[in-house]
Amino acid sequence: MTRTPRLTSDGAACCWIPLFALRCETARRPELAALPVALVGSDDTRRVWQVSPLARHAGVKSGMTVSQAIGLCPALKLCEPDPVHYDAQFSRLLAALGQVSPVIEPAELGRAYVGTDGLEGLYGAPEKIVEAIKCGMRNAECGIESESPLAHSAFNIPHSAFRVGWGIGKFVSWVAASRATPGGAVIVRSGEEGRFLAAQPLAVLPLDPDTYRRLRQLDVRTLGALAALPEEAVVSQFGRAGRRLWRLAAGRVAEPVVGRVAPEPIVAALTFFSPVCERDLLVHAIDKLIDRALGDPRRSGWRVQVVRVRAELEHAASWLAEATLKEPSADRERIAAPLKTQLERSPPAGAVERLEVEFTAFAAGATELQLFARDAQAAARAGRRRALRTAAQEIKLRLKRSLLYHVIEVQPWSRLPERRYALIDYEP
Amino acid sequence: MEVELDEDGMPTIVKRETGNGKRVETIGEVWRVDDEWWRQPIVRRYVEVVLEGGGRVVLFEDVITREWWVQKP
Repeated sequence: MTRTPRLTSDGAACCWIPLFALRCETARRPELAALPVALVGSDDTRRVWQVSPLARHAGVKSGMTVSQAIGLCPALKLCEPDPVHYDAQFSRLLAALGQVSPVIEPAELGRAYVGTDGLEGLYGAPEKIVEAIKCGMRNAECGIESESPLAHSAFNIPHSAFRVGWGIGKFVSWVAASRATPGGAVIVRSGEEGRFLAAQPLAVLPLDPDTYRRLRQLDVRTLGALAALPEEAVVSQFGRAGRRLWRLAAGRVAEPVVGRVAPEPIVAALTFFSPVCERDLLVHAIDKLIDRALGDPRRSGWRVQVVRVRAELEHAASWLAEATLKEPSADRERIAAPLKTQLERSPPAGAVERLEVEFTAFAAGATELQLFARDAQAAARAGRRRALRTAAQEIKLRLKRSLLYHVIEVQPWSRLPERRYALIDYEP
Repeated sequence: MEVELDEDGMPTIVKRETGNGKRVETIGEVWRVDDEWWRQPIVRRYVEVVLEGGGRVVLFEDVITREWWVQKP
């Protein structure tokens, strides 16, 4: 029996991009940058999810109903969320971080932990490692070529949005990132955790509102004040959750960053009884082999980034087609499409005796990212959205402008019928 | 839009921007809405009518400007 190796690291750097989804939207549609913008929720379109600083300045807050938000800020630009796009962007961010360290753990959209154990040998002091992380991000932001091996491209979010926190364990690094200024970093050296944590407000703990309220009533306002209480007293008040909170506050918990080993290449092959030269048959065989490779249990949780088809031809000749998917996918059609194009353009020079499909590179799947397309329903929704986006692009191409709107319920109780619904531009 | 009224202020003929006017066959419900008096007051008189040919339309009069409109769902 083989055991999957675990990649762990006690040293952690937390990379955090607040309002990640909103930043993805403004990166894609720069005209939004100067407007008060809010994203509506993907599950509840009547509520605001993420709010730009301009909108927040007007009093709009996350969780408000759309009608409240519009009441406070009539110029508010509402955007429909595009979880698939945010997923793709976050995957790029993870890929960029993967160039710095092999131990990457996504926490939530816009927040990921980088394992830092052993990086001193490559980069030097913690400041240098943090700089390497930020350098990768910066290059990603500009899409520039750099001498650094960390250069990436197309992650188009300003580097001022990135915050990095360094420390032992995920919690300390997260608190450090939350204290960092935009574009900056906070480094908590080994041994300094207790002093650093003691001064932090309670809000950095993973608290439910009720526990937060009770602690405030007890005049506990900082982690230091919580850690100063006897552990057993906290446990008697708040139970098992209380013990965890106390230990986090006291710096007694250092959860390591846990990365995942990318799977080895997955191969599915087919040997024909007699050599095949009909293109339709080859296309059909490629589809079947992709299906078989996708069904490999090692592929679970990963999307395919690079796919290769090899064919052994008569007379010891061979044929090869390789495609790198712009958007990693676990969908057969999307994976097969570029291969079929290559098959059309430059078909094998002879009859095929054996055909082999190989997935050679992977990107973390949506389930890995704990994002939206987790269940079958959400995946179906993403599929419908994709189809809608294609149709909308077609319309825009023909009519030169988008005439599609999304109807959202705003004030269903209003006695004025036109106030009950609003239209949001549908921009694919 | 243009609306001809009877002596009680009820619509008798409804003329849209295009086409000839249509006679009102039946008056249904009538109600009034006073809203948003704290900023830009909205005062409307809604009249539900059935036009000749059977079309059901909800009209409203903006009581402040005396203009008539069709309420589209």
